[in-house]
Amino acid sequence: MNQSAISKANKALYTRIIAGIGGLLAGALSLGLSIYETRTGTEVAQVPPGKPVDAGQWMVILNSGSVATETPDGRHLPDGKKALTLDLTLENMTAESSNLYRDTLKLENLANPPAPQFYLVRDNDLLWDLQPMMPEKVKVVWQLPATQTLPKVLNVAIVGTTYKPKDNLYAAPGWFNPNDVARVGLPLSVGQGANP
Amino acid sequence: MIRLLLSLLLVGMTALLLAFLQSTTPSYAVLTGPIETSGPQKDTVSSKTFSVKVAKLLRAKTIAFTSYGKPVERQTEGAWLIVSVELQSKYDTMTIQAAAIEGASGRSYRQTHRADGAPRLLSSKDLQPGLPTTGIFIFELPEDETSNMALVLSRQPSPQLDSEIRVKLDGETVETRDRVEIGNNGV
Repeated sequence: MNQSAISKANKALYTRIIAGIGGLLAGALSLGLSIYETRTGTEVAQVPPGKPVDAGQWMVILNSGSVATETPDGRHLPDGKKALTLDLTLENMTAESSNLYRDTLKLENLANPPAPQFYLVRDNDLLWDLQPMMPEKVKVVWQLPATQTLPKVLNVAIVGTTYKPKDNLYAAPGWFNPNDVARVGLPLSVGQGANP
Repeated sequence: MIRLLLSLLLVGMTALLLAFLQSTTPSYAVLTGPIETSGPQKDTVSSKTFSVKVAKLLRAKTIAFTSYGKPVERQTEGAWLIVSVELQSKYDTMTIQAAAIEGASGRSYRQTHRADGAPRLLSSKDLQPGLPTTGIFIFELPEDETSNMALVLSRQPSPQLDSEIRVKLDGETVETRDRVEIGNNGV
């Protein structure tokens, strides 16, 4: 009687120890894998301006960058501001009209840029949806303080997403996992009157 | 030994059965998706909450209209498609916020914002129950998508458990013009 109780207790202890070892192993494996992935992570490709970049939802061609004194729709900027303007071509690669282009561009060597405004060059007006398979020339404007010094070459990261036919929550199709797919070095040409 | 084999077999069978049930369960998106009604262009297509009758289809390269007293002209690389329809709500005052054209490739083209402010746009009109309301939807799409289209209407974009009407459009009836002036009295 006593003997069997002891052996039972031993068995329970063994089970716990084995489960603990298994847990530790799993943890160590996952940590090792993530360290390995970070170390061998692929370098983000450096792409020259004017070359198309496939960012999943969008085909992006960054053409040029400049500093202007008015927005593309012809409005004057508020006093003490300048407009960092990028010229690009955007094409919607998805199966439906979309305006989810705001997170596609990331300025890397500019501290705390404000949210940019997108303009459709064809209309000289604000950009709303882009229709699938219809590339359009677009201008993106960041309004910055006029006193802010800008780098000679602006590093712009293009953020791409991946299509998932079924997401984990609703089993609905969507675009997920934003990550940098390319980096473009854009020389900034300074428009007239940009440095008052 | 036999007991062990039997229990293994039972576990395997259960796993198979569960996998089958899981793979055949409709997803949440499907279960809560739109309630669809479809019909041809020549008929009035009715859902539980509203009905639609397509009156006219017009394709153009340029559209022009007056927005807040200012003349506006919009060009496109593809084509403008102007769909003139009559809508009727059945029970309550509603708006049709979501209109899209499903093109020949299956891609979905939402009504354009580039023509916001044009007269007679249905997205800015209230439908009162029992009163037929006429107006237009304007779409921008590539030329080759216009050969085989369907008009998809619903109260809200991506409706959940709400009516969605799909009208199969007849490519033969599309009238092509170079330039369309959208006025207050129709196109």
